[in-house]
Amino acid sequence: MVGSKRKSKLRLSIRYIVATALLLVMVYPYLYMVLNSFADWTQIDKQLVPSKFTLKSYGWLFTGGEVGIARPWVNSFFNSILVSLASTALMMLFGVMVAYALSKLNFRGRDTVNNFVLFHMFFPAIILLIPQFLVIQKVGLYDTYWAMIIPKAVSLWAIFMYTNFFKAIPTVFIEAAKLDGASDFKILYRIMMPMSRSITAVIFLFLLMERWTELLWDMLVVRSDNMLTLNVLLSQMFGPYGSYPGPLYAASVILTVPIIIMFAIFGKKFKEGMQFSLK
Amino acid sequence: MINKQNNRLGWLFASPYLIFGLIFFLGPLVWSFYLAFTNWDLIAPTYDFVGFKNFAKALASPGVQSSFWVTYKFMLLFVPLVTVMSLAVAVLVQGLPKLKSLYLIGFFLPYLSSGVVSSLIAKGFLSYNSPVNQFLRNTFGWDIDWLGSPISALAIVGIILAWKFTGYYALILTSGLESIDREVYEAAAIDGVTDRQRFWKITLPLLYPALYTTLILSFGVTFGIFTEVYQLTGGGPNYATNTWQMEIYNQAFTNLQAGYASAIAILASVVTFISIFVIRKLLESWGKRNGWV
Repeated sequence: MVGSKRKSKLRLSIRYIVATALLLVMVYPYLYMVLNSFADWTQIDKQLVPSKFTLKSYGWLFTGGEVGIARPWVNSFFNSILVSLASTALMMLFGVMVAYALSKLNFRGRDTVNNFVLFHMFFPAIILLIPQFLVIQKVGLYDTYWAMIIPKAVSLWAIFMYTNFFKAIPTVFIEAAKLDGASDFKILYRIMMPMSRSITAVIFLFLLMERWTELLWDMLVVRSDNMLTLNVLLSQMFGPYGSYPGPLYAASVILTVPIIIMFAIFGKKFKEGMQFSLK
Repeated sequence: MINKQNNRLGWLFASPYLIFGLIFFLGPLVWSFYLAFTNWDLIAPTYDFVGFKNFAKALASPGVQSSFWVTYKFMLLFVPLVTVMSLAVAVLVQGLPKLKSLYLIGFFLPYLSSGVVSSLIAKGFLSYNSPVNQFLRNTFGWDIDWLGSPISALAIVGIILAWKFTGYYALILTSGLESIDREVYEAAAIDGVTDRQRFWKITLPLLYPALYTTLILSFGVTFGIFTEVYQLTGGGPNYATNTWQMEIYNQAFTNLQAGYASAIAILASVVTFISIFVIRKLLESWGKRNGWV
């Protein structure tokens, strides 16, 4: 018995070693990015782990660097925050509202709306790219913040997730609240939302992440330098500034860190919510 | 209970979606079918109707043909890779008595990356003087133009995507594994089942619902590849990584052929729709045949 216990202990240690090694491989690209963002410019992309470090790359982002053109990196960071937060907030708000209607309000035509949402969700979105762009142009929103926010103000996935979750909340709660004279807005705010915190964490995080890293749409509808998101700016600088890899790594770090911080903040609720979302 | 008040409120609460769906889904949908039969160039005020000419041109063009095949090539590469990796991670982490969540979070981090950033890292990592290429040059005398040759360009984009999605799918699979009753394993252990038998006869069948989810998701990913290809290869070399999105983007916004690009977009969505449908059916019948559903 002692032998088999030792054997299983050994197997467990091996398991931890393999898991840790694999994790290091998976996280290494991030590590590579961070190290290169601080690396001396002569060592960037030349060593697995640089030996000389500098803050020059980050400084370059703020000053515009040797080319003398002040690049709106800082500006673009705030553009990203503005666009992502506004868009995500709207997606959450509308997601909750529509889901409440689809799950708890028995209105005529509900099944039709419900089926239409599903049809919309599973329709290949690729067909919509060009005409959506034209809609934005026609209504005069081209090259505005709204162009990045309004077409991304509704998420079918959020509606779908909330609808499923709300369906699982017993109607008794709602009826009781209604007897007490609560309005539907109040019910939504006071009963439904507090009960769905964990799923909200998951939806919020996924939507924010997707919005924050969007490239194609944001680069199509906005042209002005001062309105570009950080992701788009980074993408544009990728080519012509190829000789300045340091600042590109620094910008990558600045683009990646906020979303990881968000994940860390909501991480606990996130795991609970994932459990439900996968059912 | 349907009453007047509920009716009004229902439509009121659903109205954000209804307005949005009209402006950004139904309208554009009709518009794209209309555009597909014109030769509009995205700028000129006038255009002509050209019938099915755009479709005929698309079917004969090397760009569209490559998009069709490139999607399946990515599928062949990406789906097995990400499935095996996420399964490995899930099974590995599931057996850890401590720090399980911490490991899962670690593996999930790549999912949070922007495609622009991961492409940038890959490009730097594979640049001419990078440690990897120096090593290959000095040790084997190999000089590999990673993004310049069709197979490796395809492989690199596939690997970047697999890197991104592995942790996410592992998380889904772990939830599947957690739902498996411990007693089943204990009973199997008493019966003297080997590790391999345990995986194929117990874990996999019980994991099937979660696996089905990750497989459908990963097949879906291959139809929407854009950022990494745009950033790293632009669809090249010689159309080797020219995905549907890349082709549509190029035709519509680089060559300004809005009508022609709309026709391609329609073809792309038809192909996507049919492919996903067939894949779903195949996966379901695979599950049924093995008695997993």
